[in-house]
Amino acid sequence: MIELKDVSKLYNEGRPNEVRALVDVNLVIERDKVTVFKGPSGSGKTTLLSIVGCLSRPTTGRVFLGGDLVSGLPERFLTEIRRSTYGFVFQRFHLVRGLTVLDNVMLPAYPLAPPHAELRERAMARLESLGLADKAAMPVEHLSGGETQRAAIARALINDPRIVIADEPTANLDTALTERFLEIVAELRAEGRTVLMTSHDPRIWQSDLVDAVIEMRDGRVVGEF
Amino acid sequence: MTAPFARQRYLIDYTLAALARRRGKNTGLVVIYTAVVFVLASAMLFASAIRYEATTVLADSPELIVQELVMGRHGMLPAAHLDKLAEIRGVQGVEGRLWGYFYDRANGANYTLMVPGKDAAEHSVGPGEAIIGEGLARSRGFEEGGALLLVSQTGKLLKARIKSVLSSDSALVSADLALISEPDYRRFFELPDDVYTDAAVAIRNPREIEKIVEKATYALPSARFVTRSDIARTYESLFDWREGLLIALAAAAILAFAIFAAEKSSGLSAEEAREIGILKAIGWDTGDIIAMKLWEGGLVSLAAFLVGTVLAYVHVYLFDAGLFEPVLKGWSVLYPDFSLAPRVDGLQLATLFVLTVVPYTAATLVPIWRTAITDPDEVMR
Amino acid sequence: MIFQAPILALLLVSALSALTVLWAASFGLRVIRQWDLASGTRAQLELERRTHLVSTLLAFVMAVELFTLVLFVFNADRMAVMFVGAMCAVGTLNVNDWGFPALYLKIAVFFAAALWLIVDMADRLGRDYPMIRFKYGLIVALAPLVVAAGALELAYFLGLKADVITSCCSKLFTPQKAGLAAEMSGFDERGALMLLAGAFAVLLGTAALWWKSGRFAAVYSVASVFLFVAGLTAIVSTVSLYIYEHPNHHCPFCLLKAEYGYYGYLLYVPLFAGTAMGLAPGVLALYGKTESLAGTLPRLMRRLVAGSVALYVAFGIVVVFTIATSRLVLFG
Repeated sequence: MIELKDVSKLYNEGRPNEVRALVDVNLVIERDKVTVFKGPSGSGKTTLLSIVGCLSRPTTGRVFLGGDLVSGLPERFLTEIRRSTYGFVFQRFHLVRGLTVLDNVMLPAYPLAPPHAELRERAMARLESLGLADKAAMPVEHLSGGETQRAAIARALINDPRIVIADEPTANLDTALTERFLEIVAELRAEGRTVLMTSHDPRIWQSDLVDAVIEMRDGRVVGEF
Repeated sequence: MTAPFARQRYLIDYTLAALARRRGKNTGLVVIYTAVVFVLASAMLFASAIRYEATTVLADSPELIVQELVMGRHGMLPAAHLDKLAEIRGVQGVEGRLWGYFYDRANGANYTLMVPGKDAAEHSVGPGEAIIGEGLARSRGFEEGGALLLVSQTGKLLKARIKSVLSSDSALVSADLALISEPDYRRFFELPDDVYTDAAVAIRNPREIEKIVEKATYALPSARFVTRSDIARTYESLFDWREGLLIALAAAAILAFAIFAAEKSSGLSAEEAREIGILKAIGWDTGDIIAMKLWEGGLVSLAAFLVGTVLAYVHVYLFDAGLFEPVLKGWSVLYPDFSLAPRVDGLQLATLFVLTVVPYTAATLVPIWRTAITDPDEVMR
Repeated sequence: MIFQAPILALLLVSALSALTVLWAASFGLRVIRQWDLASGTRAQLELERRTHLVSTLLAFVMAVELFTLVLFVFNADRMAVMFVGAMCAVGTLNVNDWGFPALYLKIAVFFAAALWLIVDMADRLGRDYPMIRFKYGLIVALAPLVVAAGALELAYFLGLKADVITSCCSKLFTPQKAGLAAEMSGFDERGALMLLAGAFAVLLGTAALWWKSGRFAAVYSVASVFLFVAGLTAIVSTVSLYIYEHPNHHCPFCLLKAEYGYYGYLLYVPLFAGTAMGLAPGVLALYGKTESLAGTLPRLMRRLVAGSVALYVAFGIVVVFTIATSRLVLFG
């Protein structure tokens, strides 16, 4: 369970271009569920995900992860929590160009330094289950859109995270690929993972898979369904 | 393999892949870095080789040289002094030496004319014979078996058959040398029979040298005594000073290079900045990025240091330091043409390391850190 | 006489270290005043991130100081030919009054930087940076030391005049003279070895005491200082004699040279590394009760004590081995 109490986030604080990205957000996100944040761009959904995902710290307010306060932690420990708890699929996927699919998938595990053979095996198993095993040795820039996304998902799962975060996962996908993505989300939920997504794609928040939809506007939560 | 080592291995793997991907960007840096190491290493190796040459020469020189001072300047040493020196207890032998310089109007060069010592059997010359240095032979086109012809300022003629030309092993000191017999020498320079240029004193026990100098000072109050270690010190400080001057000049180059390196490592390409952002977001810590970047700098340094040093070695010992000869060897018209004996010592390599790798690393630390603190949520924005 | 490559290199490193530490100290003052982990402001985040830079820089300073410590001694050794009476590093260091103090301060800087890095490592184990103010207080204290070491070095090199007649190890490290070096070499051989054995007994005793009770870590650190001094005394007064196989040659530097197979490193590396690790537990014990370090700090301290004991034992083995295999016999 993730709990946010009075969370606000300012960018460029104290400067003329100060932005209030989040304003006094109070929120509870249930575990083992699929939660979607919706709202127009600039509504603060992505900022909210980055705070929930320990990518950044709130300016004020507190964040609890499974009952532990994480908002006051030094960056270093946030990183530790992030890499053991969360897997990220970014909007533009953000694979490292020039590296092979396999290398990209293994990247998040480097700082944890597992034995190389074991890591490789784990990565191959992930790629296998996502139907990418035959592309493992290919540089990522040669992948199609759908394949790129699945490679990004494989990378997000390499450290076996409890929570998977996906930012606008279907923004660049056609209907067939969106269907495929939702299948993967179903599998993730079946594996007992919590999934958090932002999306303004109705195909996502109207899906039966989604347990909760949180609507945001101007940095505030305006509705929960 | 324990986790910390495994982690470093992963970071090195990543760095190597990154370096390979951005070959173009790093080539320029490595080339300049290598050039800086090369120039500095050449200067240091060259100075050390010359210093070594000087020490080898010194090793053969007498423990004590006695010169006569006239009005505070070097004068001719009366032969009677030699007997007084020989009487001092602890002195093994005294030998009067004859040597001097000769300005050759034919080609505007200075030669050293010298009478070989008695124990230098392989260099002994009889009247009418000469052994000459390789530089002299080259500049005047003399050959073995030919005739050496010199005309003194007063019109005395020296004509001698060239017995041999000295090999270039220790050419630094012998290039402009001409060895001739004592009678020829005295006649050519119109010297009386009872004077010498100076005297070489052999001493039985080197530890007694200070005592002997003390006694000799009483016996010959007008003479000056130069011990072998005095000469060594002069040589040493002369060479060090010149080497230091070169390095002080190089300091400007190193500074410029450090600024260049700092520029280079802080001016991240968009691609690279994006990559660091991704790594931070997917779970790499600031410390991981710093370590990875330090490996990158370390590998670049290692490559530049090794290649630069090896090139310098080749330059100095195989190509006889073609680039520096005029600066360090002196300004004689007769450039000695000789090979330096290869010699590398740990102190020099360590110094070279400190003068190149340390400034590079220091210059890149802050940019590396700046790169590493990229906001992890950057890629989400 | 500063226009020599190794001297320029040494001065360059000293200047870099001094500048780095001065900057770190000014940053340290800011940390001491402004640190507030509970704040989510950008300013606090900047401070936090800058601590990474300080750690990296200090590690760099320690590494180059250690490297140049060896360079300093070697350079002094090579310059010996330039000074009347000097036959090795000791003579060169004695050319003026600054040589030995500069060396001692360089050693002190190394230990201080190593100690700081260990404290830093311990601090990073805690989620709330429990030692942050203490740690930056240490840097503020470290800065004058580094600057003084650099200044002494500069004074020493500026004061090197080739016409000075100096005295070398055979004169300095002889029991008949006064001064620290003479005191150390004047120790009679049996006494020095007894002292070393005693220091070992105390050290192992305090280590065991700490291991059992988890208390008196400071005593262990004091014991390791004692062992360091006893170890150096033993090297100067006795072990060197066995290495040189000469009953009167006491020099602590000559044994670093190739003529003696770089034997000195076998002695100095474990002794110095062991002491660097041995100093830390006493300091870390100040934070022994910190909640956020429960578990992790004791583990680190155990590793440090075990590591330093192992290094000291290695040193002891080398000493015994040296005496046993030498052709010199002092005790009939």
